This record gives sequence, structure tokens and C-alpha cells, in this order.
Amino acid sequence: MTELTIKQLVVARGGIPVVRGIDLTVRSGEISVVLGSNGAGKTTSLEGISGIIPAKGAILLDGEDISGQAAGIRARRGLRHVEQGRTVFPEMTTEENLKVALAPGASLDEAYGLFPELVQRRDIKSAMLSGGEQQMLVIARALVGRPKVILIDEMSSGLAPVIVSRLMEAVRKLADGGMAVLLVEQFANLALGVGNRAYVLRRGAVVYNGGCEALLKDPARLHHLYLGDVADSVAMHA
Amino acid sequence: MNSLLTSAVAGLSAGGAYAILGVCAIFTYRLVAVVNFTGAAIGATGTFVMVALYESGVPLALAVPVGIVAGALAALAVGLVMATWFSGAAASTKAAVTAALLVGIIAVGLRLTGGQHPHNFPDLIPGSAFRLAGVEVTWAAVVTIAISVLFTFITEQFLARTQTGLELRALSQRPMAAELIGIRVKLLALSVWAVMGAVTAFALMVIAPQRAPDFMSLSLLVVPALAAALIGAFASFRAALAGGMAIGIIEGLASGLDTFSQYRGAIPFLVILAVLMWSQRGARFDEAR
Repeated sequence: MTELTIKQLVVARGGIPVVRGIDLTVRSGEISVVLGSNGAGKTTSLEGISGIIPAKGAILLDGEDISGQAAGIRARRGLRHVEQGRTVFPEMTTEENLKVALAPGASLDEAYGLFPELVQRRDIKSAMLSGGEQQMLVIARALVGRPKVILIDEMSSGLAPVIVSRLMEAVRKLADGGMAVLLVEQFANLALGVGNRAYVLRRGAVVYNGGCEALLKDPARLHHLYLGDVADSVAMHA
Repeated sequence: MNSLLTSAVAGLSAGGAYAILGVCAIFTYRLVAVVNFTGAAIGATGTFVMVALYESGVPLALAVPVGIVAGALAALAVGLVMATWFSGAAASTKAAVTAALLVGIIAVGLRLTGGQHPHNFPDLIPGSAFRLAGVEVTWAAVVTIAISVLFTFITEQFLARTQTGLELRALSQRPMAAELIGIRVKLLALSVWAVMGAVTAFALMVIAPQRAPDFMSLSLLVVPALAAALIGAFASFRAALAGGMAIGIIEGLASGLDTFSQYRGAIPFLVILAVLMWSQRGARFDEAR
């Protein structure tokens, strides 16, 4: 049973705090969804957790604080970050992209089982794949590293809804297989549909921490959580 | 005609060294994304360590490996600077840093090696290997060419067929993504630098007796090295190999012609100019239209 616990995470960009002391928890078999409008601090939070940028606060992986470790060490300890922007290795084939991340004992079949679409594209340079296939590839690449926790950032960006649904289904499978997933997403409804716990960020702080289902059933509340005072102001003037 | 052939063959040894240096330049550019101006200076460091040991009575069989290790260590030092402080910097910044380091290494190297003070460079591989159309081809030329071909072949195969090669290619394409899948980015980058330093040091040891034996002259072999790398568009090891050989042969030919012999040092510059102009031909053509 893996648990990633984030306590009082503070992350700054250019000296300005973007994430202001947030607490998050992700457990094996669960998807924790992080929502929020542009600039809320979602991507910055993930980058702080995975070690791309320095962060203050505690990052506990199975109880051990890994906040002082470099990104590569965190990755080798089981924390995999799927960045936004579909970061395939463009000059390498689909299969090479997977092989380079293969953990001892892991098999490429795990990746192809999750995304059979990639089988026929195994010898194609990943730069030539479609956006959806590239997103599948980076998720599959994280999977074959046998991580304990996977952080996924904005995987739906620029993709057709049918592809996004396919990806959400695959992420749900990862969690059902025992992985802990922290999913940052713009498309709230799709993410809440597959998630277990939701966190809504506004201006770098958590303004909601609770079940996904409750939020999915109450769009007005979600709207208010996203926009805060602006929503109140709009409602007053309506 | 025979004198021209003699001159061309005389350029083979230098051509082999240029080819090795050019392939090493692409090696560092492709794998750690650095246009490295310090390559030849690092090789010169190893070469002068070997010479210093040799001059103080250490047997060549020991001085050469120690010199190679010194080249690797010098490269590691440069690599450490680049990997620690400039791993995320733009390519132009990295190139500027290595140019600055080149100036620093030359200054220190000249001071430690006595400036223009003549040194006794041993012929590591003496003698004539065979005659080509009546012209003697030295073992030094044969060995440098063989090393350059072998290094190119091994590098290509290593990158294509091994797990570490895959990791190096991933590192070269997206360093952050490579780190996020657990690749030991810094260790790999430093290994690339060390291999480059060792190979460069040995190449310069072989050709040093045929060159002006001072630290600066050897360090400035970076110019033909980068010209060779440019011919390979900083991507193709084989084109750089051929380019380095061609530059060496043209230099050799020029040294056999009275009119051009004084300007043969400018040949790499002309090659760089020609390659850059050729690479811009599309843009110029579009402007003209």
C-alpha cells in the first residue's frame, strides 16, 4: 500500500510564491484529481513534487521524506511525472521510448496491453505519432518503469474528446491495478468522472478537498470553487 | 604529380586526427547538447601530461595511459561545470561557456608548459606502414585513421544497440524527461565527457610530433575539429569522419603548393564559411525570390 503525502508545499517561480502551503494525499488504487483555473498552481505543484523545481514542505513517499532528493532519485524511488506537452523522445521509435524506461522485470506487453494502439506503431519514430498516440506513449513509458505513484499533468491538452476519454479510461486502469495517481486536469467533468478524491486549487491554495462524486453532482459549487469572488461578483451583477 | 600525392598522403595523419576530433565534437553535441570548444585543449592537457612524464624519465608505456587518464579527468572537470551549472542553459550559452573555458585552459596550459618552450614529443607509432603509389604512408596515419573509423563505428553501434546508448539518446533529446524516467542524467553526461577526453588525448598524442609542439597550437585544433563537425551538420558521425579526412588531405595538398602553403591554416576557416553559406542557401534563395 503506497501513500504519497504532501504537507505544506510551497513552490515559487521567480521568487513569487505560486503554491502556498498545500496539503495533498494520494493512495494506491486511487486517483486524486487536482483541478483549478489557469494560473491556480496545478502544474507548479506537480513540478515541486517531482523535483523539477525547488519546493518547501514535506513530500512523504510511504512515510519517508523525499523532498531533499533530486528529481532523478525521486523517479528511481517510484515517483513518475508525466509532464504536459507530450514529452516523447522524438528521434526514437515508439518501442525505443518504452525500452529506455523499462524497469527490471517489467515487460513491453504491459504498455501494449494498456494501449494496443501502439503495437502497430512500435517501429515509427515517436515524432511522427499523432498527439493522442504520443500521450499514450508517455503514459505507457511511465507505466513500464513500474512506479508507485504517477503524476500526470494536463494529458487532455489539445486532444479530441474521444481520445481524452480513452486516456481517462487507461488512467483508471492504472489505479485499479494498484498504482497511486495524481491527475492534474483542465477538463473537470472528465477527471471527476474517473477520480476518487478531488482537490481544487485557487491562487496556489486548496479551496476544496473531498470526494469527486460530490463535486461532479454540484456544478454550481465547482464553478464557484474555480472562480471564487469573481463568481460571487458575476452573480451579484447578473 | 608525385609531390602532390606525397603532400596529400602527408595530410592523412592530420586528417585522421581532425576526424577523431570532429566525431568527438558531434559526440558531445549530440549527447550532452554542448558545442564544445575545449575538446582539443582537453586533449592537449592529456598530451602534455604524457610529455612531462616522458621527459622526466617515465616509460612511454606508462606515460601514455596516464596522459589519457589526465585527458579524461580534464574533460570530467569541464563536464562537471557544464552539468552542474549550465545543464538547463541555452545552446549558445553553453557554447560561450566552453569558449571561455578554452581561453582559461590555454592560459593555464601555456603557463604550466613553458609557453613556446620546445618539448620532446615522442613518436608513439613510428615508421612506415606501406607505400601508396610510391609514397610512404606512416603507421601514425594508419592508426589515426583506424581509430577515427573505429570510434565512429563503435559509437554508432553503441548508441543503436545498447540500453546505455538508448539512455544517452534520450538524454540528448529531452534531458528533463530523461531524468523524470529515472535515467542517471549527470552520471551519463560525465561519462560522455570522460570518453571524449580520453579519445581526444590519445589522438593528439599520436599527431603531436607532426604539429607545432606548444599547448596553444594543439588547443586550436578545435577549429578543424569544428569544421569537420559542421560538415557532419553536428549530427552525422560518418560525414564528420569524411570531412575531417578531407580537410587533412586538402591541408596536405596546400602545403605542397608554394602559393598556398602559407595559407593552409586558413583551410578549416574556409570550410566553415563554405558549409555555413551552403546551409543558408535555402534562406538566401527565398529572399532572392
